[in-house]
Amino acid sequence: MIQFDWFSRLRNRWGKWVIIAPAAVVVLAVIFIVCFNLAFPRTRCEAVKHLEAPEIAGDCYGCHVKATPKAAQDWYESKHGVQLVKCFVCHGQPDGKGEVVFALNPDVGICRKCHDSSVTNMVNNYGLEPNCVSCHPFHQNSIHHRAYVKPVAKKTID
Amino acid sequence: MEITRREFLKMSAAGAALMAIGCPVAAWAAKGEGEPDRWVKGVCRYCGTGCGVMVGVKGGKVVTVKGDPKNHNAGFLCLKGALMTSVIYAKERITQPLIRKNGKLTPASWDEALNLVASKFKEAIAQHGPKSVAYYGSGQALTEETYLASKIFKAGLKCNNVDGNPRLCMASAVGGYVTTFGKDEPMGSYDDIDNASCFFIIGSNTSECHPILFRRIAARKEANPATKIIVVDPRVTNTTRIADIHISFIPGTDLALLNSMAYVIIKEEMDNPRFHGAYCAFMDKEGKPQTFEDYKKFLEDYAPEKAEKITGIPAKTIKEVAKIFAQSSATMSMWCMGINQRIQGVWANNLIHNLHLLTGQIGRPGATTFSLTGQPNACGGVRDAGGLSHMLPAGRLIANKEHRNQMEKLWGLPEDSLNPEPGLPTIALFEALKEGKIKAMLILCTNPAQSLPDVNRYREAMARKDKFICLIEVFQDAETVQFADVVLAPAFWCERDGVYGCSERRYALIEKAIEPPGQCRPSVNILVDLAKRMGVDPKLVPYNNAADIWDEWRAVAKPTVYNFWGITRERLRKESGLKWPCPSEDHPGTNIRYVRGEDPLVPPDHPTKYFFYGRPDGKAVIWFRPYVGCAEGPDSEYSFVLTTGRVLDQWHTSTMTGKVPEIQRSYPKAFVEINDKDAKKLGIQTGDHVQLETRRDKMVFEARVGEVCRPGLVFVPWFDPKLLINKLTINAVDPISKQPEFKICAVKVSKAAKA
Repeated sequence: MIQFDWFSRLRNRWGKWVIIAPAAVVVLAVIFIVCFNLAFPRTRCEAVKHLEAPEIAGDCYGCHVKATPKAAQDWYESKHGVQLVKCFVCHGQPDGKGEVVFALNPDVGICRKCHDSSVTNMVNNYGLEPNCVSCHPFHQNSIHHRAYVKPVAKKTID
Repeated sequence: MEITRREFLKMSAAGAALMAIGCPVAAWAAKGEGEPDRWVKGVCRYCGTGCGVMVGVKGGKVVTVKGDPKNHNAGFLCLKGALMTSVIYAKERITQPLIRKNGKLTPASWDEALNLVASKFKEAIAQHGPKSVAYYGSGQALTEETYLASKIFKAGLKCNNVDGNPRLCMASAVGGYVTTFGKDEPMGSYDDIDNASCFFIIGSNTSECHPILFRRIAARKEANPATKIIVVDPRVTNTTRIADIHISFIPGTDLALLNSMAYVIIKEEMDNPRFHGAYCAFMDKEGKPQTFEDYKKFLEDYAPEKAEKITGIPAKTIKEVAKIFAQSSATMSMWCMGINQRIQGVWANNLIHNLHLLTGQIGRPGATTFSLTGQPNACGGVRDAGGLSHMLPAGRLIANKEHRNQMEKLWGLPEDSLNPEPGLPTIALFEALKEGKIKAMLILCTNPAQSLPDVNRYREAMARKDKFICLIEVFQDAETVQFADVVLAPAFWCERDGVYGCSERRYALIEKAIEPPGQCRPSVNILVDLAKRMGVDPKLVPYNNAADIWDEWRAVAKPTVYNFWGITRERLRKESGLKWPCPSEDHPGTNIRYVRGEDPLVPPDHPTKYFFYGRPDGKAVIWFRPYVGCAEGPDSEYSFVLTTGRVLDQWHTSTMTGKVPEIQRSYPKAFVEINDKDAKKLGIQTGDHVQLETRRDKMVFEARVGEVCRPGLVFVPWFDPKLLINKLTINAVDPISKQPEFKICAVKVSKAAKA
């Protein structure tokens, strides 16, 4: 009964919190989901899987604002979001039709459509692999997130 | 809504992470497509921004596109431009000539089709004279195509019924520039965006309609956060996301706002008397010379408190905006269809120019008055090359004898042989078709069966049994194909070479990257062939290819202020676009017109810095243009205002964007946008069916409820061929520019049962 031992050891150490803490997490999660659904009454997201609702599959943001809210909100606040470079321009669409391959990490060829000079610079000047995502994880850093609200850079006066 | 959503999300970051963990995230590997064999330089096929693109070709097929880093877009492309490839290989391409037999379009040989078209045109001219035929062109056709078609009709057939869809999109901007500055086309360029410290964006959803310019404006704001962006629009569009001030107003009342801003500028002594005293003339609406004092008197009616009553904009806001406009170090105005597609379009254009002339916000880097164009070659092709019914190439006018004589000489025609009577502008042209006065019409590269206002009326006209319509069209599912008697198959975009001229006077070459499919031919070849068969003097069309036409067009423009003699085909192949005036091959092109040292047409020893050489007295005009409302305002029965426009994903009549699977998924159909409060009153929710009814027709749309439209306003995009919103729009036109008022008509809104 190794599992039991493990549980009782925890129980001895933390007492009733072993049950209360996970329960609290579950309750908070439920509250969060309920609040979230109340906050986006107009958002439709009936489908669980991508191809279950083909008629709304093109509205990536509509579902992902619920399904992966952090990614969706980061995009919304990013330069790509402000300029409406929509999800499918880089990530393709679930049905795989069209020229852009459906992918979590877009091929560098997609980045090159707009950022060719930057990619070439990185390769030529810094000897880097042409792989943008390794240093610029999308939706997580200043390049894609809150791009127009950058902190003012410190300036030194010589 | 946005703020609450953002704050809410920030507060619940932990929860968000939890949610994310719960979702299946699969790591799909992206497949590399392989590098193209070669890159061919071109210009985007879509909007008037005119971004440079590089077409990636592998094994004779286009495999991808990327932005041209040397062109003004610095390598960036918008959503549409980045997804160009699917359009070229759409299964709806027309690959051979078609003739309508027993009501059905059937394949035919080029000889059979061209002979039929030629015989119909010859027959019409022989029986009813040259006024009975017409050409209806496009701001998407190449410069060479428009120049050639215009020459064939005006010089070859002596028919001035040559017009085009730019009449629906920028005729008022032309009217504005010509009446204020004497000559068409903006004096500034996109480079001004990088130097402006105030943007006054009125009647333009730049974000969705000119995304790459919006990117540049945002980049300017990022580089200099003190830059003020003012967006004047009755809708809260995506453009307002970077705006400091958004001004909503009662649709159609912006003339009062602009006059009121002028009032405040003068009242608070923020004008620049040294500038307008030296370089401006004042004129009342009849064109009689007036003085500055008269102007002040005229503006008395537009004190902010009075304007507030007309426009619904608080007087305080009007004063604030006028102040920012006048006192910034460099103000750039930008506008588009919200100003142009109006029955007072020219006047509204004049009033924007007035503000710049009053304050001297002109002719410096960043200080300019800049009209945005909707189509990729409305400026270069139709405006400059004279593809409108009242014009000859390079700003010359049909009604002007001297101009006609110049063209007769250049075209090798006997003196006084050109028809001195201007032809019919678009709406009048299609009215004439409806009345049976136009017997044969050639339509190139445009889709009037969807894009004309009150389109039922003109679809009826095009459906007349006794008319003959020859359409040169790329896609068989374009609406106008239904009405064509002959359809000719043209080469598309990068399947032939030719020049596009975008909003900033930049001419750039689209080079041929691939062979056209099937029997498709470049439209210039089709037009030359057709002209010869119609009996046009072969000496008028001695061209082997588009480059020959370009050289003639350069020579035709050389003696005028459109002088771009230095923009040779050779240079266009090497460089990513050049801005005219460019009088010699070593000239780098012009960023700012009318300024000594910048514009090669202002003599280097001109005594003053500015010289508005387009006008006889060298002075730009500050016009007295009173506020006049729209053609069909809301009333008790039709109580809402209907406005139409674009969305980012789709372009024009969606004959191209409709072929891109990604876009069809993201934006499959038109909808009606309606304000929260109105929707509540009418019991409408997002997704409900809503009936829109105007005095012309009624139609049902799916509702999108939100805060984008102001109360009393509804918006419908016009791209959807299955929901032709133009069946509802009005055909009233501006008395000067003859441009229709797509932007405003009265509509009845009611909830409809779900189908």
